[in-house]
Amino acid sequence: MAMAAPVMRMASSASFLPRLLPPTVFSTTRARVLVRQLSLPLFPNLNIAIPVGISLGLPSLPEVLEGIWEGILKAVPKKKTSHMKKRHRQMAGKALKDVTALCVCPACGGMKRMHYVCPTCASTHPADIFSLAPAPSAIITASGSSSLRVYDTTQPTYPLAQTISNAHKLGCHHLATARGPQTGNVFASVGFGGDVKIWRLNPDSKEYELQWELPTVGDSGKGDVWAIALSADENFLACTTSDGRIHVWDLTAKEKIQTYETAGGRGAAGGGGSFAMAVDLSRDGRLTTSGHENGAVYVFNNDAGRMVYSLSGLAKPVRAVAFSPGCKKLAAAGNAGIIALYDMEHGEHVGNLSAPGNRPSWITSLDWNDTGDYLLSGQLDGKVKVWDVGRGACVATHSETDSALWCVRWLPPTERALGPGMGKGERFCAAGASRSLSFYREATGI
Amino acid sequence: MESGRYRRISDCPMAFYAATKPAIKVLTRIIRPWMLSTMNEVSSTTNTSGQEAPAIDSQESIGASSVSYETISVVSAIGNGALTRVESLLEAIVDAVIAGNEISIPYRSASLSRPGAMPAAEALSQPHGARRSVRWAADVRFPGRTIQEAKRFEALLCILELSRQALVSGSLITKRNIYYQNPDLFGSQAAVDLMVDNLALTLGVGRGDLNIVATAKGLISGPMMLINRDGSAIDCGLSHNTGMLLPSINEVRSIGFHAVQWVLVIEKEATFRTLAAAQYAKSSQAGHGVLITAKGYPDLATRKFLSVLQSMRPKVAIFGLVDFDPDGISILRTYQNGSRRLEHENEATVHSLRWLGVRSCDLLSSEEIPGFQDEEDQESQPAAGQAFSQFHEDSGGEPLTKRPRLSTTQNPSETVSLLSLRDRRKAGNILRAIWSVEEPPKDEKEHAEELQRMLMLNIKAEIQAVDNYGDLSTWLDDKLCVGMGADQ
Repeated sequence: MAMAAPVMRMASSASFLPRLLPPTVFSTTRARVLVRQLSLPLFPNLNIAIPVGISLGLPSLPEVLEGIWEGILKAVPKKKTSHMKKRHRQMAGKALKDVTALCVCPACGGMKRMHYVCPTCASTHPADIFSLAPAPSAIITASGSSSLRVYDTTQPTYPLAQTISNAHKLGCHHLATARGPQTGNVFASVGFGGDVKIWRLNPDSKEYELQWELPTVGDSGKGDVWAIALSADENFLACTTSDGRIHVWDLTAKEKIQTYETAGGRGAAGGGGSFAMAVDLSRDGRLTTSGHENGAVYVFNNDAGRMVYSLSGLAKPVRAVAFSPGCKKLAAAGNAGIIALYDMEHGEHVGNLSAPGNRPSWITSLDWNDTGDYLLSGQLDGKVKVWDVGRGACVATHSETDSALWCVRWLPPTERALGPGMGKGERFCAAGASRSLSFYREATGI
Repeated sequence: MESGRYRRISDCPMAFYAATKPAIKVLTRIIRPWMLSTMNEVSSTTNTSGQEAPAIDSQESIGASSVSYETISVVSAIGNGALTRVESLLEAIVDAVIAGNEISIPYRSASLSRPGAMPAAEALSQPHGARRSVRWAADVRFPGRTIQEAKRFEALLCILELSRQALVSGSLITKRNIYYQNPDLFGSQAAVDLMVDNLALTLGVGRGDLNIVATAKGLISGPMMLINRDGSAIDCGLSHNTGMLLPSINEVRSIGFHAVQWVLVIEKEATFRTLAAAQYAKSSQAGHGVLITAKGYPDLATRKFLSVLQSMRPKVAIFGLVDFDPDGISILRTYQNGSRRLEHENEATVHSLRWLGVRSCDLLSSEEIPGFQDEEDQESQPAAGQAFSQFHEDSGGEPLTKRPRLSTTQNPSETVSLLSLRDRRKAGNILRAIWSVEEPPKDEKEHAEELQRMLMLNIKAEIQAVDNYGDLSTWLDDKLCVGMGADQ
């Protein structure tokens, strides 16, 4: 501040001098720059447009020339491309090329550019895809919008086979189909309003129709349904509730046959249990498992109707649980970012599948392939990983998107190759916040 | 009149008599000057011109009857005819007393969605199973059938009288003040709030027109000048650490926008104070602006103030910064669409309020702290801020083309917490409210999408979660600049 006052005085005296006064009045360039900045508010029209950088680079330039410099700096040569020039370039093959990389959009059937999102589908797919449910010849998708979509998986373009509009008004977050042979006749869906609907395939029209809607749980609001699982014989539906219970419904008799309580498992005696975020039924129909917000995994025996194992190992919320097809193993994963494997004969923790790294991403979805050799996991950072369970290693990582994946599912094996050169290998599908379905198949010929 | 009253009371049980007794006292206190004035009117019908407002009449006669009132100022004229309505209501009561009829006050109510959400005092008298947005009307009679009704009558009469006094004297009375007039009578502050709002609904005026206001709750900070009706000016930029209490818009005559380009409405006072103390309103890269908070769910005064801002300067962009939880979105929606209970209030919505944050993408892509990255990602820079906005290809079964490796560890930071059962239920209710119309507008669909993601992730986060160090200004600069850019 002590400096500022004398400089300011100099500034005002300098500005009163005529403009033609040589700059030798000031000894250094530094001083001049200071003067300019400080004198701005006093006499804006005198010094405002002088670029400081220029006067620094050419310290001896008289101020008369400053106006000229300004004019030169602003001049930019421009020339209109003449018609002849343009035409010459076009004739020489330098014009815009025609776009030939086109294909038919598998979703809507319209033309689209290959490897690009179909503009019509992107606009009509209004929300995240939250769940997938594979059937032998189709895959059902549920999103934040009110309709469900069914895509045909027997054709290489995966065309849209059916749209069930107004299925769940608030959007749908979970779907379930039975896994195993002779399935695909029934699927169940849960909406954000907690409403559960059962859909059955009409054998004549090959379309799904609403069969039944589960009566909503009492008005107390206790226990909105969250996750669901369907048994292999398509007869039993397990639903988890936000207060930690698991209801099992008989779909033929349309009644609730079993309720498993998990409250009190972790010192929550009397109160509600921890929110059950995931559920699965084993293919042999013997076991039910649930994964909870507090990191607990419970296994129930359906014949005895009681809890058999309370498994620990994951301290963070469990977002996915899955029995292996042989019902020998159970995989559980969630916010911890690792997949815990449990042996179902003795209820032991037999291993972890984890990627190296100090902070793995949350796992949102898990699925075993039909033979039980591979485990598929979808992560919140958009990566899909395929794990070889026998070796305990990750054999493939795909990161086509960096938006969250909400669901990954293996497609059931097919009898014949989908198209020429495509083989009969395993396929899986991933979907999430990118609002599109990505189909992957096993690479052939390697 | 006297005999009629006693006859009716004598039939009643003792407890009922005890309950009605104070009401009678109030009634007589209030009505006496009115009866005098009415009698004056009757006696001097010949010499009054008939065009004079009843307020003037009563004023004169009241002055005669030992109760002193201040002179009527011009302000009482702004009451939107509220004064005449209140007075005609009181006149009707006087007429009923003179005629010896049962006295009644018309009373309508905008009932709430859930009976459980009502204050206890009102829930008793609410018809069971009242549905949302079904308005019911019932007169409050005196002496009624129940003790509650008698008490309610007294309470209503008290509010009417206080409102009239406020209107006549041109002053404002707070709801808290009304409660303290007789805490035993009203029982709770919530009961007063509900009654005042329903009374305003019944009379067809706004709450402010009755000269009844809530205690000022909103805070404002920034280079803006408010000029009161009495000519005094408030510079909102002065006490930057704490912010100024936002005055009622009825009090404000004009607003001096200096170079204000944006208004940021913040849910939480703590965040507001941090930003105000850092002089963010002046130092932001997005230009000068104003910070406003209503400390949670907004009060009427704040909403009206914003609504006036919006209509005065449509070019000034108004942004909302709320928590990433169902309550945050609900607060945002209250600003935008108003609340159900105060549907009858005019000019209390801010449709142009835009949602600045916090959204799920802000949480998921906030992972830029070195040392916390997944080691697989270290070869590529995190692509921040775009996590949820990109489309990816819908591959028709072909092997996907290799893309440049752009990925980030998308774990929400450690500051998030899990949704409670109440949060999940609240989210469901908001979703239902959004989809209760056939085709919700675009911004409401955005709310629905974020709520769905919130439910799927099962997390909520405070505003501070966007930056682990609690310094919002960088994040806000980005967001505001983008938001303002989208404007032009």
